[in-house]
Amino acid sequence: MNKRLLGALATVVIGVAIIAGVGSYVANAKNDSGVLAATPAGTMDTPQGNLPHATLAISVYPDSMWRNKGKVAHPGYVSYGPVTNFEVPAHSVITMTVTNYDSGESLNNDYFAHVRGTIDGSATLNGVRITQISTHAVGHTFTIHGLAVNQDEMFVSVPMQAVAEENIPDAGYTSKPNVTVFTFVTGGPGDYVWNCEYPCGDGSIAKFGHAMSTMGYMSGHFTVKG
Amino acid sequence: MTELMEPQTPQWWKKADVKKTFILWIICTAVIGYVGVEFHVRNIVAPASENMSSIISLIRIFTWAAAPVAGLVSAMSITVLTSGRHYGDNPPPEADHEIRNSPKTTAVWIVVSGLLCLFALVGGLVVLQHDNEAILDTKAVQVNVVAQQWVWNFDYPNGARSEDLYLPVNKPVVFHITSKDVKHSFWIVQMGIKMDANPGYTTETAVTPDKIGVFDIRCAELCGLLHAYMQTKVHVVSQADYDAWLTAQAAMEAGA
Repeated sequence: MNKRLLGALATVVIGVAIIAGVGSYVANAKNDSGVLAATPAGTMDTPQGNLPHATLAISVYPDSMWRNKGKVAHPGYVSYGPVTNFEVPAHSVITMTVTNYDSGESLNNDYFAHVRGTIDGSATLNGVRITQISTHAVGHTFTIHGLAVNQDEMFVSVPMQAVAEENIPDAGYTSKPNVTVFTFVTGGPGDYVWNCEYPCGDGSIAKFGHAMSTMGYMSGHFTVKG
Repeated sequence: MTELMEPQTPQWWKKADVKKTFILWIICTAVIGYVGVEFHVRNIVAPASENMSSIISLIRIFTWAAAPVAGLVSAMSITVLTSGRHYGDNPPPEADHEIRNSPKTTAVWIVVSGLLCLFALVGGLVVLQHDNEAILDTKAVQVNVVAQQWVWNFDYPNGARSEDLYLPVNKPVVFHITSKDVKHSFWIVQMGIKMDANPGYTTETAVTPDKIGVFDIRCAELCGLLHAYMQTKVHVVSQADYDAWLTAQAAMEAGA
């Protein structure tokens, strides 16, 4: 075979192999934790009428040691789990239960200490109805927002009460987590994102670095499927 | 004895390549101006404020003002690329235009370019400054804008708060903009205002919405992981609807 042709062919093959290798590495390193689909739970009466009902149950941990026995890229990062990508049905009522095992500090923006976007603007914290919590006792928030173009608007933001410092064990997770339950109604299909609005990461800029700026820890996708 | 007559060279503007360039210049200017205005302006969103209408008009004028410059460059490029190639060490005699090294030509070029730049500067400043006059209007609606990775929230004087912006139509609005973390940029797309949101500082800008409807707010400063999702809506409503919304929202916030 012509040497030039062979050289060109080899260059193409090596180039494709390098691109494929880099792509595979990036795909494996992106911390995409998979998708958790909401569990159907019959129907529920809401101000918008009787709608299909689905539930989601997630937790917030002070680190990522729970995930694959800590064998993750950043075992020290605070994280939501078991996954950070969620899928819920459109035009339905969704009940989310968030169990918070983490402590907290003061919010830098009290807007996120209020419950927003849920049915009647409330949630329950350990069984007690709340519309807001103290800005000085916020562990995290679960805040859904998204692109404002070509899909229904959706904004849901619920603060998670911090676990008191005295209830945080030296090792493992507290046996007295705070459980927050809230319910909201979805619109039409759309791709949204969620993130924590309590600056619980690290870095020099307002603690919005590290876990806050890495997909798969304190942020993820929230897909409303038709 | 008869003196030898030197062959007369035609004046430079009578030369074939100059005529060709001149005709191409006119054609290129017309095409570039028309296509630039039509395609550019058509792709800009419909304006929802006088400010944005002025910006679109300005873009149209600037495009036409720039078209002759782009047209001349294009025409000269076409002429050069389509002319016959000259082989040899020295330039061909016909290339020896009087225009080369002409102080007059240089002066005209500098003056015209300078005037175009000055026109762009003054025109731009006048248009961009227009709505900022509302900052001094004591009757303007005052809204605090807070940016935070990766959402906006808005505070109104009566205690109302929201993540969507609500504004009354045909009333000047002053925005006091800040950030809780990194640098963002508050951009109301259809109203033609864009202002940086800086942590620790409050910047101000103003606009008078002149169309009822729902418009887009985006962050125009790359601000981190979910920057692309840092979008929300602005609802421009009648004064009566705005008052009703404001009252209800304040009551909800107080009860929350």
